[in-house]
Amino acid sequence: MILDINLLDIVLYNTSKAPVTLGDLLKFVLILFLSIFLTKILTIYLRRSLKDKVSKDVGETLLKILYYGILIIVSISILPLIGLNPSALLVAGGVTGIILGFASQNIVGNLVSGFFLMVERPIKIGDQVEISGISGYVTDIRIISTLIRTYDGLLVRLPNQQVFTTNITNIVGHPVRRFEYTIRIRYSDDADAAIFLIKDLIDKEPFALLNPAPSVFVNDLGDSSVNLTVRIWAPVNEWFGIKTRILWNIKKTLEEYGIEIPLPQRIIRIQSDVKKIPEELIPGKEIESVLNYEERVLA
Amino acid sequence: MYGYYNPPFSVEKEGISISVENNGQHWMYRRTLGTDKVEKIILGDGKRLIINPVEPLNTPKEITPNLLIEFENTLLLAGSAKRRIFLTFPIEIGVFISDKGEKNIQLLDVMSLARQKFTLYGEVSNGVLCKHWKSKVYSISPSPNPLEEGILELTLRNTSSDWASISKAVFSAYGMKLYYGGDGDAFMRARMDILNRNTAETGFELQHISGELKSSPLKDFKTRKEAFGVYSLQKLGFVPLKFYMEWGF
Repeated sequence: MILDINLLDIVLYNTSKAPVTLGDLLKFVLILFLSIFLTKILTIYLRRSLKDKVSKDVGETLLKILYYGILIIVSISILPLIGLNPSALLVAGGVTGIILGFASQNIVGNLVSGFFLMVERPIKIGDQVEISGISGYVTDIRIISTLIRTYDGLLVRLPNQQVFTTNITNIVGHPVRRFEYTIRIRYSDDADAAIFLIKDLIDKEPFALLNPAPSVFVNDLGDSSVNLTVRIWAPVNEWFGIKTRILWNIKKTLEEYGIEIPLPQRIIRIQSDVKKIPEELIPGKEIESVLNYEERVLA
Repeated sequence: MYGYYNPPFSVEKEGISISVENNGQHWMYRRTLGTDKVEKIILGDGKRLIINPVEPLNTPKEITPNLLIEFENTLLLAGSAKRRIFLTFPIEIGVFISDKGEKNIQLLDVMSLARQKFTLYGEVSNGVLCKHWKSKVYSISPSPNPLEEGILELTLRNTSSDWASISKAVFSAYGMKLYYGGDGDAFMRARMDILNRNTAETGFELQHISGELKSSPLKDFKTRKEAFGVYSLQKLGFVPLKFYMEWGF
């Protein structure tokens, strides 16, 4: 007697509508993996096509929405293969949601935060940010976490919930930013000449913006120096290079014109004329009233 | 200096020296401008070099596609009036390499003799970075140094009924169309439509110059050529060619 058993027809479990066979389960898994594979190919193709047409952050957000959107639609549409009714899931969703919510509070929190980060967009891929004391470039905003490459090249993964609920400083959030120096010159130097020279240097620097206008002024008459404040606006991606370049140029130019940056000073006056000092304060002088104090009192 | 060159060649003008020489193995491109020197090896034969003016937004570094021209004198334009003025704009010289027949054009080098300065148009929080240039306002076409300044014919049109006080204009490089004549003059034709007291729209004329500039050295239409632009070579998506001036003019 030969048993004609088809493995694919093996019933795994029964549902209210029809039994679910091994074939149904394999079909479900196959379609799911095939759709993941095809969606990945589609996103790779779109990423290449959109590369020169839209900015990276917008493109990546669109691709993520497309990728997860397709997967959710495919998953829901093939649920009946394994005997699950999507509409029944919706009914059960309330209870399931509460249970899942408690069980995976952090994951759901990160997921929701990730969604709001993509919608509100306080940061974008490529931005320079400071989040929770970590400074660097945003390399990716994923649905659960945000990746940051620190300035010294380390990769930091921050959960989206932390990113969303903490203070974010976006260093490149505005097109321009200001930086400032305090330049100290001697009291004997001409402050007007120093201001003129500094303004001329700023004028020659292409990335030192004309508007908002730079300002150079005497801000303080210090203990050892006249303190000049220099404020310059620059494009946000160029400011650090300009800051270092102009500062060194100011130092060199001021020195070239004989204007020096003074060291801390303290003027000490040594008096040569000896004035009359009370005899009690002259060191080494024996005062009779003090020396014979005990004898005089005890006597 | 502008034109088409077949290697080997050498050209020198106003302190700019450009040459392409064959050193046996390959072609060597050399450019000198003051202390700035560029050397590039060209691997390929039968190539041609094109030198022409390009959009003035590539040097010292391409950080913005917008050019702000500040007028030396403020203009007052009557309501519903239309006037034509001439301005100057900074010149940048682009060197391209191409196959014969102007195919597969690739930018090789960009240089400039003009002053470089940037500014912000609008607010700190949401303004637009612009390359800055200050120009006199001319009623007839000026004759500037063609390697340093080009001529911009600007048609001002006040669509509102109020007087408009105009002291600057901002242009997007994506719409720029440059032309150059046989004697090296660079030319652009643009328009500026005043929409209301605070907003205007600028754009460039895409059609060829009609030759109506009687006083211009560019009056001979046949000698003018459309320059290859750096921005027009880039593969762009939906980039607006006009500039909407929403923070005043």
